[in-house]
Amino acid sequence: MKRLLLCALCAALLLLTACRALDVIGNGSVTSFAGVLDALPAAAAGDTWMLTAPDGAAAFVWSGDFSRTGVYDAWLELDAAPFVAAGLDPGRLPDGMAQGERLVAGASLGAQAPAPEVSESPVLSYGQIVAQQRARIGHHAAMDHFGVDLDGGFMFEWARDMAANDKDIVFVLNPEPFRQAGADVGAIEGWALAMVETMDEAGRPIEVEKLLKPFDIG
Amino acid sequence: MDNQILSIGGMTCAACAGRIERVVGKLPGVRRAAVNLASEKLFVEYDGASVPLSAIKEAVVKIGYEVLEKPPGGAVAIPVGGMTCAACAGRIEKTLRRLDGVIEASVNLAAEKAFVTYDPKRIRVSALRAAIEKLGYQALEADRTDAAEEDRRRKQREIRALWIRFAVAAVFSLPLLYIAMAPMITWVRLPFPASLAPMQFPLVYAVAELILVVPVIVVGYRFYTVGFKALWQRSPNMDSLIAVGTSAAFLYSVYNMWRITQGDFHAVDALYFETAGVIITLILLGKSLEAVSKGRTSEAIKKLMGLAPKTAVVFRDGAETEIPIDEVEIGDVLLVRPGAKIPVDGTVREGHTAVDESMLTGESMPVDKQAGDEVYAATLNTNGVVQVTATRVGGDTALARIIKLVEDAQGSKAPIAQLADIVSGYFVPIVCAIALLSGVAWYIGRGDVSFALTIFISVLVIACPCALGLATPTAIMVGTGKGAENGILIKGGEALETAHKVNTIVFDKTGTVTEGKPTVTDILPVGALSKEELWRLTASAEQGSEHPLGQAIVHGARAEGLALSLAERFTALTGRGVEAVVDGAAVLVGNAALMEERGVALTLAGSDRLAEEGKTPMYVARDGQLAGVVAVADVVKPSSRAAIESLHRMGIEGAMITGDNRRTAAAIARQVGIDRVLSEVLPQDKSSEIQKLQREGKRVAMVGDGINDAPALVQADIGIAIGSGTDVAMESADIVLMRSDLMDVPTAIRLSRRTIRNIKQNLFWAFGYNTIGIPVAAGVLYLLGGPLLSPIFAAAAMSLSSVSVLTNALRLKRFRADREEVSAA
Repeated sequence: MKRLLLCALCAALLLLTACRALDVIGNGSVTSFAGVLDALPAAAAGDTWMLTAPDGAAAFVWSGDFSRTGVYDAWLELDAAPFVAAGLDPGRLPDGMAQGERLVAGASLGAQAPAPEVSESPVLSYGQIVAQQRARIGHHAAMDHFGVDLDGGFMFEWARDMAANDKDIVFVLNPEPFRQAGADVGAIEGWALAMVETMDEAGRPIEVEKLLKPFDIG
Repeated sequence: MDNQILSIGGMTCAACAGRIERVVGKLPGVRRAAVNLASEKLFVEYDGASVPLSAIKEAVVKIGYEVLEKPPGGAVAIPVGGMTCAACAGRIEKTLRRLDGVIEASVNLAAEKAFVTYDPKRIRVSALRAAIEKLGYQALEADRTDAAEEDRRRKQREIRALWIRFAVAAVFSLPLLYIAMAPMITWVRLPFPASLAPMQFPLVYAVAELILVVPVIVVGYRFYTVGFKALWQRSPNMDSLIAVGTSAAFLYSVYNMWRITQGDFHAVDALYFETAGVIITLILLGKSLEAVSKGRTSEAIKKLMGLAPKTAVVFRDGAETEIPIDEVEIGDVLLVRPGAKIPVDGTVREGHTAVDESMLTGESMPVDKQAGDEVYAATLNTNGVVQVTATRVGGDTALARIIKLVEDAQGSKAPIAQLADIVSGYFVPIVCAIALLSGVAWYIGRGDVSFALTIFISVLVIACPCALGLATPTAIMVGTGKGAENGILIKGGEALETAHKVNTIVFDKTGTVTEGKPTVTDILPVGALSKEELWRLTASAEQGSEHPLGQAIVHGARAEGLALSLAERFTALTGRGVEAVVDGAAVLVGNAALMEERGVALTLAGSDRLAEEGKTPMYVARDGQLAGVVAVADVVKPSSRAAIESLHRMGIEGAMITGDNRRTAAAIARQVGIDRVLSEVLPQDKSSEIQKLQREGKRVAMVGDGINDAPALVQADIGIAIGSGTDVAMESADIVLMRSDLMDVPTAIRLSRRTIRNIKQNLFWAFGYNTIGIPVAAGVLYLLGGPLLSPIFAAAAMSLSSVSVLTNALRLKRFRADREEVSAA
């Protein structure tokens, strides 16, 4: 019986290892994210890492240690000014989204403390998201982008191959909360409103509205 | 010329059969090579001096098929007691191998059995057992394995192996199909493991499909080994289509896996592993069902083979000994008890019994047998104990000859099969070309490799011509088998096909329409001669005659107790009568033509009336003067009228041919409802009368029972020998009726019509599947806004085509003989 259990355990480990090795999207996203960070280094901010857009109007922030960050472990920080200029009433946004001059939308990724070296590297920190929240990582075939799903229709995307892509990083927002808070989402400066092809929960292809801010950094 | 039947393994479609026929047919010295795909047998007629059998076998093996060898002689497993070690086994082996007639001997110590292959003509099993016992071991009763049983077991093993392969393929294909299809089914959310989600884990998903498809490909390896071999040899067959189609799907999927590893995750949408897996699984399912159905088509032969008893009780050294049937020799005296089967053909030596011969003749009434009567192997001794002297054993018994005849018939081809052969010869290469052209055309039109590949695979898979190859032989096998069950032996596919076109059937009168046992009905003496004197005189003259009418007069006279005189200078005048010298007087007995020829005046009143009543007046002249008339009548068989009526309902004209005078013949014809009478025809002229009918544009069948009918049987489009008849009649005929019942004639014609109709239906379905399937698979409907055929559905349709053709052929098993319908009515 012990031998059987041991065999089953070994087989499970082998399968897990094989699956990890075969996870081309998870592994590819880490590799290409490292490429993005080479082109546009992230800044350390306490227990987090911050990748700020070249125009400074948006940033992707992710935790180096999920056990120490607060409400969100990965989130987007946006300059509120263009949204307010387009008619946004920050008071009508969902709770916690308006934080002074910044707008924040993100996801909680857990409370597990990483190995010490992980939090010291932005790439390894991102790797933690892949390891623990693999379902949030996807590949946008039409754009050949990897992306992190930050809940509520908010995403951060980057090119698998920056050399072959003119949109190396893209901040993706769900326009609905802003529309409901009074903003004219078609008139937000620096953000493009577009229909984007994606899939619904059942896997059916659908088109949804998104606010996009792409950058060519390569 | 030698004839051989070889069992062939590895054939899958008509193209395989055609290829073997072509290759073997081209060998120098081979006169004819015909392959029956359904029975998996090659019938070859060859000159053994020009081409040895081994060369024919080599030629078959060289092109990728197996020649399944039967054991060269008898095979027996003798349980051996008293062995203690390997040395004992070795000693017994050595001793057995040294015996004359032993081909191979091996002893299994663990099983305690000696397995011996031997030549039954040179050594008996009893001698093998004696040799073992002489060494000090106990040789127990042997388990015998005959060739039919071995063949049956081999077929069962094949069917089991096919089912196992299908089961393995299904176990892997079902999850493969599920994981391939579930993500595509968006109208209902099917449970699906997140770790396999193709958009999240494309490579894991692809590897999972690969892992599932590999075992399916492994169990279907034969499609690849045979298919590609045939393709390289420029003679593609059904396996080639499967192999090319599924390989294309598999290799394209592997290429797309590589694309995924290179970061082209979208390539996950272009995986076709499930197409390859499911196609192989469905084809294996079709092949399994096909193998089961094929087995059922040859049940008639198996039934016949199963009739033969395995042992016989023989008198040896004054004692009764039970011996295997193969050891019975001509001249052996056999004891047959009530309820036992007659072991071999023979003559009753002692005793009296009734024998049920229904298994050979279909005749349900037991036949009385006494000393001197012939009995046949496999018939059932119903009530008395008889001693039988063996006259024909082994392959010479009536049963063995019937089995051989049915086997040959089942291996033969009907002319209609030539159409399928010709088509299937060109079919596969044409399909390959259509598949390629369609694929290329769609690629040019849409620029989508995946779509073009789907079309290419669908066309290849749906067009497999296996149904085409099975259409004719399966129906012939079931049809001829069904005939054999009813005592109707149809000698081949050609006879079967010609019989359905017959529109005129000519019956020999005596022994065919009538019982052939005439009796004396009237005696009309002239002048002072008494009836008894006239009868005695006529019977004395006829003593040397073999003609049934003459014999009837002789038997009747003897039965009346008349003392016959010795006839001198007897001469039989063919078709006219006899002449002899009786008590010093020249006596002439015969028909009116003979009397006219000899100048005898026919001045007797009443003889015309006899003829009109269907009686045969035999004029008797003594010393050139008419002495009187002896009338003989042959009784019409009870079934004759019903048989002619049945033929009329089928639109067939009945004619009767006889040497009798016109009025006698017409009277018989009236009794049974025959349309046309060919009377006063001499035996040698029967054949030319048939020719005359043929010149009128009629398709003629001739039904006869005697040696004198043989030329007419050969001349007719179909010769039908009735009542098992003589060997010559059996040889000359295309159809042999084992019973003397004329109802078997319409039954035979009806069976042939049903079989040919069945073949036409099968060909229609087989061609229909392909002619409809190929354009659909090539995307013609899609081009017009309709659906596109998935390769998986193409595979299902292809398997269904073979199964539906076989099922249709098996419907013939429900055929019932006319006699049953008549009795039911």
